[in-house]
Amino acid sequence: MDTSQTAIPARGLKSIFLNLKRYSFLLKELVSRDFKVKYKRSVLGVLWSLLYPVLMMAVMAIIFSQFFKFHTENVDYLVYLQVGLVMFNYYTEASNLSMSSVVANFSLINKVYIPKYIFPLSKCLFVGINFLLTLIPLTAVIVFTGTPITWNYLWLPFAFVCLFFFTVGMGFLLSTIAIFFRDMFYIYGIVTTLWMYLTPIMYDLSSVTANHPVIGQILRINPLYQFLTFARLCIQGPTNEMTFTNLLGQTVVCPAGVSMCPPPTAFLWCFLWAIGAFLFGALVFRKNQDKFIYYV
Amino acid sequence: MSTDTVMVRVDHVSMRFNLGIEKNFSFKQALIDLLSPSKRKAKKEKKDFWALSDVTFDVHKGEVVGLIGANGAGKSTMLKNVAGVMKPTRGAVNAFGTVCPMIELGAGFDPDLTAKENVYLNGAVMGYSKEFLEGRFNEIMDFAELWDFIDVPVKNFSSGMVARLAFSIATLVDPEILIVDEILSVGDIAFQKKSEEKMLSMIRGGTTVLFVSHSLAQIEKLCDRVVWLDHGKVVDIGDPKDLCKRYTEFMGQK
Repeated sequence: MDTSQTAIPARGLKSIFLNLKRYSFLLKELVSRDFKVKYKRSVLGVLWSLLYPVLMMAVMAIIFSQFFKFHTENVDYLVYLQVGLVMFNYYTEASNLSMSSVVANFSLINKVYIPKYIFPLSKCLFVGINFLLTLIPLTAVIVFTGTPITWNYLWLPFAFVCLFFFTVGMGFLLSTIAIFFRDMFYIYGIVTTLWMYLTPIMYDLSSVTANHPVIGQILRINPLYQFLTFARLCIQGPTNEMTFTNLLGQTVVCPAGVSMCPPPTAFLWCFLWAIGAFLFGALVFRKNQDKFIYYV
Repeated sequence: MSTDTVMVRVDHVSMRFNLGIEKNFSFKQALIDLLSPSKRKAKKEKKDFWALSDVTFDVHKGEVVGLIGANGAGKSTMLKNVAGVMKPTRGAVNAFGTVCPMIELGAGFDPDLTAKENVYLNGAVMGYSKEFLEGRFNEIMDFAELWDFIDVPVKNFSSGMVARLAFSIATLVDPEILIVDEILSVGDIAFQKKSEEKMLSMIRGGTTVLFVSHSLAQIEKLCDRVVWLDHGKVVDIGDPKDLCKRYTEFMGQK
């Protein structure tokens, strides 16, 4: 008897990778569907991916640096703002789309067996490609402001990959919660707004730490702060002189405003947040995925 | 007719739905539950509904098995279990071979995409590869007779056109197990005839079919065996002619 089962796949780590291979074409189609639908009927089309972050940055730069007199010491404010915006927007857009992805694709899930994690994953990849496009205007801002481009930029992909895995994990978690508890869509909207203000996108955390040391320490736990700071250290260096111990036990002093390789603790925090969120989200998703169909 | 190879094994399958699910998470209900915890459990158990209870049958290679029963008897739930979309509460469903589910045709279409783009998207959903779809694209459009609408968004299609496109994609390969839920009535009369012929040719080609229809004429014509479900339980399994006759009498009494 032929015992190969295609309709009801076996579980386990090995089957996850087999599935991923088998459904890679579907993943690609879902991502390209999102792209086609996003820019259909817009005159500028994919150009919006490039224009949008620059315009957003311009608006925020005008409001925060001109009206509120926000500034960063020793580093260029425009670059500082743009790095923060591009990364934070990736997180909010991808996590929001992931959250509604399973509910939105109910008609498919109810018809044919597809591994359900493919929906949040496809959204994170779709926004990820958009994110890569926004690196073009970011580079333009870096060049325009005269920020030097150094070898330390090679550490940037580490921050981006960590941000991606963190977002996928949150996408798994949020989409699971949203299925059982639709109020999550509204609650998460409030949470992201709060999160945006608690993340130093348009201000420098050291200005908070100076007046409120405890609050400053608490805000440092924020994973998005970790990812943003990592990227900013690579590009424009610390806002104030930074002293840390490297892996060889030597004390390193980094002058303010000079591009650097982030300290080992920054690597560790980014890595832990990424892998932690990813594993936790995947576990919660997996444990509940068979129940999804009764709730959507 | 049937050889010894079992293609689908449905083994003591029971399926429970909680009809109260919608209300379980509301704030109001949570408050009421909080105030009267004793009532909570009793209420929950009352809402349990068994869509299938202890259903057992095998489908052999090359066999066409029909499922009949009144609305809500559990036919579609049974098909979804075989398709792997749902998992049974108790028991097990095993499908030994590639399964092609033809349930709710066109459900996977994106209304904003064109016919061509949807062929690739829906083909990917069905598990076909890109090369395969490229090679067979002309065949799909020929069968659907939609060449004139290839670059038109599907949202502008009539429901018959959507069904034709979906049927053409779904029947592109000869799957080992075909699951059909009330779809032989898609499109106009000409396309109905064409789709029925396509089904017949698949059946002659040795495809195992699990088939739900309210048209007893179709069941008698196509099926080798019939499973009669009523309120989630198997009433009888046997010869189509005999069961269809008894089923008609049973429904007449109601």
